[in-house]
Amino acid sequence: MLTFVALASVLLLGIVPEQTEGIAIYTGWERHALLGSDIRLSCSFFSWRMTSEDVTFSWTYRPDGSRDSISIFHYGGGVAYVDNKGPFRDRVEFVGNPSRRDGSILIKNLDYNDNGTFTCDAKNPPDIVGRPSSVRLLVFEKVPIQAGVITGAIIGVVLGLLVLIVVIYYLMRFLVARRVFSLSVSKHGKKKKEGSQARQGPVPPADPTKVKAAASEKKKQESRKDKK
Amino acid sequence: MLMLAGIVILHITTIILLLVAAIDNAWWVTKTVSTDLWGRWELANSAWHYTNLKDYPEDYLQAVQATTVLACIFAILALFVFVAQLFTLPKGQRFTFSGIFQLISCLCIMIAASIYTAKFHPIEKEGGFGHSYVLAWISFVLTLILSITYLILRKKSE
Repeated sequence: MLTFVALASVLLLGIVPEQTEGIAIYTGWERHALLGSDIRLSCSFFSWRMTSEDVTFSWTYRPDGSRDSISIFHYGGGVAYVDNKGPFRDRVEFVGNPSRRDGSILIKNLDYNDNGTFTCDAKNPPDIVGRPSSVRLLVFEKVPIQAGVITGAIIGVVLGLLVLIVVIYYLMRFLVARRVFSLSVSKHGKKKKEGSQARQGPVPPADPTKVKAAASEKKKQESRKDKK
Repeated sequence: MLMLAGIVILHITTIILLLVAAIDNAWWVTKTVSTDLWGRWELANSAWHYTNLKDYPEDYLQAVQATTVLACIFAILALFVFVAQLFTLPKGQRFTFSGIFQLISCLCIMIAASIYTAKFHPIEKEGGFGHSYVLAWISFVLTLILSITYLILRKKSE
């Protein structure tokens, strides 16, 4: 039994590394940008191996509605090569950090013709088996309002104000009661000094909050009796 | 006792009407389309399909959504506050808290229905306002009546 378990675990350990090896590339899913602005397309990867010196990043672009891709950026052998002939000439800049596994590029001065899919492919030798990841770029004249942002904001603000008002109301009541308590104590103290204890009588100084509570308790009891 | 039961039943009815107006996508109805507030139902080949809302003034739509939801929330809160005040209010006092909440709910649903009337479907040849829209206005009237009732009503002082 034990040998069977040991054998099975060794087999599993043998299989699993093959599946976890390989490079996993991450980009965004969709990016929205304003006409004429700059956009940073991020690309990073995960690999079990150490970042090698021969790490490469390449970006390709496929316009919306077209089937052909064109290469616009390549980083290899420590040098970044940008597009100098294609649709993005003089508009692409490398802003990534290959030693930190970041292969992001910056595209400047966007136009409606830049709508399309950008694919990042990274290789970390000997880890080269992986799927390239794509990010879709949408260029707008005016960035549209995301669904539900205004709704959530209005509801949140109103409910927040409600909670705030209720808290302030109860706080004010509490503070006013305390102020009355401190005032009555000081008055009582002065009268004690003047020596008019006879008027006060043997009753201990009454706590206004306790007096209120007692009064409301009496009222509650009365209302319960009346209701019955 | 009877009046109390009547008011509570009316309040619960108002909450139900508000919830239906908020949830059911039927503010604007044509023969094949039932739309609004959250999505659009279209009848195609005797099957209803649900799609997202398009080509709407986004900010006004979200304002209507928010105020409708707020109206529901405040109406439900007003019910709880009313029941709480039944037990804790000193005799002879008015139900101001519940009245105020109900008034805010009334205001919110009025804002929602007004924005909807003004800004949506201005030029459409066929179709009309659906049952959710009608229920929104009816619940406006009911919440107004209830809030005035709460603000005038006094707890029995026998």
